[in-house]
Amino acid sequence: MHKTRSVQIEHKKHGHNINFNAMASPCEVIIQTQNKSLAKKVAQCVSNEVWRIEDKYSRYDSLSICGQINSSEGQKNAIDEETYLLLNFAEQCYQLSDGLFDITSGVLRKVWAFDSLSGECKNFPSATEVKKQAKLVDWTKVIYDQQSITLPQYMELDFGGIGKEYAVDRCILLAKLLTDEPILVNLGGDIAVTGPRHNKQAWQVAIENPESDVLDQPQDMVVALKQGALATSGDSRRYLMKDGVRYGHVLNAKTGWPIIDAPRSITAVAPQCIQAGILATLALLQGEYAEQFLTEQEVIYWARR
Amino acid sequence: MNNNNAKAKSTKLNNPRLKNTEGNSTKKINIKAALSLATSALLGTSVVASCATQAQDVDEWQFDSAFLLYSEVDRVSASEAIIAGTKTFANDEVLTLKLTIDALTGASANGAVAQPNAQTFTRPSGNGQYVTAAGETPLDDTFKDTRVQLNGQWTQPLTENITGSAGGHLSKEYDYLSLGINGNLAYDFNRKNSTISMGLSFFQDTFTPEGGIPKPLSSMLVGDSSASDWDTEFAKTRVGDSENKSTADVLVGFSQVINRRMITAFNYSYSMVDGYLTDPFKVVSVLNNDGMAQDYIYENRPDSRIKQSTFMQAKYHFDDSLLNTIADVSYRYMWDDWGISSHTIDTRFAIPVGRTSYIEPHIRFYQQSAANFYQPYIIVQQEKTVFVSADYRIGEMTSVTVGAKYGMTLNGGNELSFRLEYYRQMPTSSGFTEPEALQTQNIYPVVEAIIAQVSYSF
Repeated sequence: MHKTRSVQIEHKKHGHNINFNAMASPCEVIIQTQNKSLAKKVAQCVSNEVWRIEDKYSRYDSLSICGQINSSEGQKNAIDEETYLLLNFAEQCYQLSDGLFDITSGVLRKVWAFDSLSGECKNFPSATEVKKQAKLVDWTKVIYDQQSITLPQYMELDFGGIGKEYAVDRCILLAKLLTDEPILVNLGGDIAVTGPRHNKQAWQVAIENPESDVLDQPQDMVVALKQGALATSGDSRRYLMKDGVRYGHVLNAKTGWPIIDAPRSITAVAPQCIQAGILATLALLQGEYAEQFLTEQEVIYWARR
Repeated sequence: MNNNNAKAKSTKLNNPRLKNTEGNSTKKINIKAALSLATSALLGTSVVASCATQAQDVDEWQFDSAFLLYSEVDRVSASEAIIAGTKTFANDEVLTLKLTIDALTGASANGAVAQPNAQTFTRPSGNGQYVTAAGETPLDDTFKDTRVQLNGQWTQPLTENITGSAGGHLSKEYDYLSLGINGNLAYDFNRKNSTISMGLSFFQDTFTPEGGIPKPLSSMLVGDSSASDWDTEFAKTRVGDSENKSTADVLVGFSQVINRRMITAFNYSYSMVDGYLTDPFKVVSVLNNDGMAQDYIYENRPDSRIKQSTFMQAKYHFDDSLLNTIADVSYRYMWDDWGISSHTIDTRFAIPVGRTSYIEPHIRFYQQSAANFYQPYIIVQQEKTVFVSADYRIGEMTSVTVGAKYGMTLNGGNELSFRLEYYRQMPTSSGFTEPEALQTQNIYPVVEAIIAQVSYSF
């Protein structure tokens, strides 16, 4: 897959803004320094890292390790340490969510096709169709160790639920190696900072309200972030109504059906972005108990219903 | 651990449609903590760092506690308990309070030299005597004291780059009181990579030893302490009940971050001590030409001392190839107008063991030259000296400390550590030739000690 990749660096009063596109999202890095060559160095390092992760784990790219595993037809596939660690992380999430979070659940999207523009689900699938696809979702059937993975035929891995957040955390780690200047990394709304801004000021982070164009809806919410990360899960545009029930786009890996009565989106705060992302996703998977779940786990969060 | 403000905020911003679902039987396992561990494993970050990021510590006390045992072979044993609390306020003001309690027991060298025959000494209080066996270093075994120390320090940013700090100190023993104040200013520049600091402190100490202050250079009264004229005679060797000492210190420091792996610091300090600097419990043996003790006189030291020291330190954080070890190496050179100069080299290596613990070997080397007026004993014929002390602590010596500390971070971020060290002090002769009777005696006995400490931060 060929992509044109470029990075824009803009000099602003507070420092430098770095912009590029990756993982189907606009990406932004803010570095609070007047040092242009440093900003360039950070821009190059961060964008390369995000693109590296995208190339390695995109399920749309047949050359990626994810693409290779998915097309291995039940054969053993060699993996490197990074992949092993990600699989381990996915395993932990599977266990912690009691199977609700499953990185083999991507195949369900074949029956639940949400239109990317309207968010509408055009064809409401039949129970038989869903059941058939849901049989292909079962993380416990995946065999892996430090060197290799064996994915049963027709099953698929999808790192979409953790890839972007993982990239944010990796960028923060790499950026910290380059400089002590304050840096914010924002990959399509999943955000982390290296620490407070100069003078111990918090970063003002706007969490976009997907419905801000609709009258009577609250505008973007501004959050002060001094340390750590936040990630948003859910998309209020993607849902469907059937027989008076609103189905969100988050799917229950165990049943293959969308979760009912979940908030439209949840933004969670955690020390690392990948944690924040998983917490938000796990909360959505709790449906109407999403907020209760986060409250019990003592997580700072914002939910939109 | 969330801070309360943020929690309140999240509740406020929650959609009012949030249902009250209390009583629902959702499992309450600590998913957040499990996720921190999983994240640490994935990103290779330490659990400590990933847990600590959110904690703002505002309005919360942090405590450090420690218990230390110091035990010299055949001599002093000390146990010490420390509890320190730190509270950080909203605008980065930091209040630190520290309480230290030490209990000392055992025997301490009285300054006299070993003899081929037994020796009798009068206790510093004048109440009774003790006998040291032939061939043994005379030790006063009445050493017993409890000290309570209180320190308080307030630190706050004054401007963007200047941090100010002020503190007080109080230390009380049965026969000793020390009061102190200090102030410090630190200026950050070069994008906070460099810091210059300057500090001043002042201490006022009062010493009221039991039995009073001995008259310098007077002979120790030895005899029948139950005799009727004992008290009158003993009083003749005394010059008062108490003495004072004041100490003023100036400290100038500079620290520089070299790169993200290395930090260095340089200090210079100038210290003026005035007042009673003599140790009222120490005597000096007066020997005849054969080396046999004729008399013991109370020591006498100058009433002022100017001490200067320079200190340099480098900390280096190695990468994976050296196990992420943090090396901390420092050197101090101290000199004073009593003729004492000393070198201290201190090295520590903190080596991570797994993700949550570390082991820290420690080696310290110390060498000092003797004070001009230090003499292990005096020979009768010697010209009358004004200042004299046989206190081994101001004589020539070398000492070595070796040990290690093992620290671990417990679940929840609290730190527990254990330290075990061996200390060996080796006094040496600074060019005195021993008279005959002393040739078979150990004039410069080695002191060995074991130091054990447990610390817990919560």
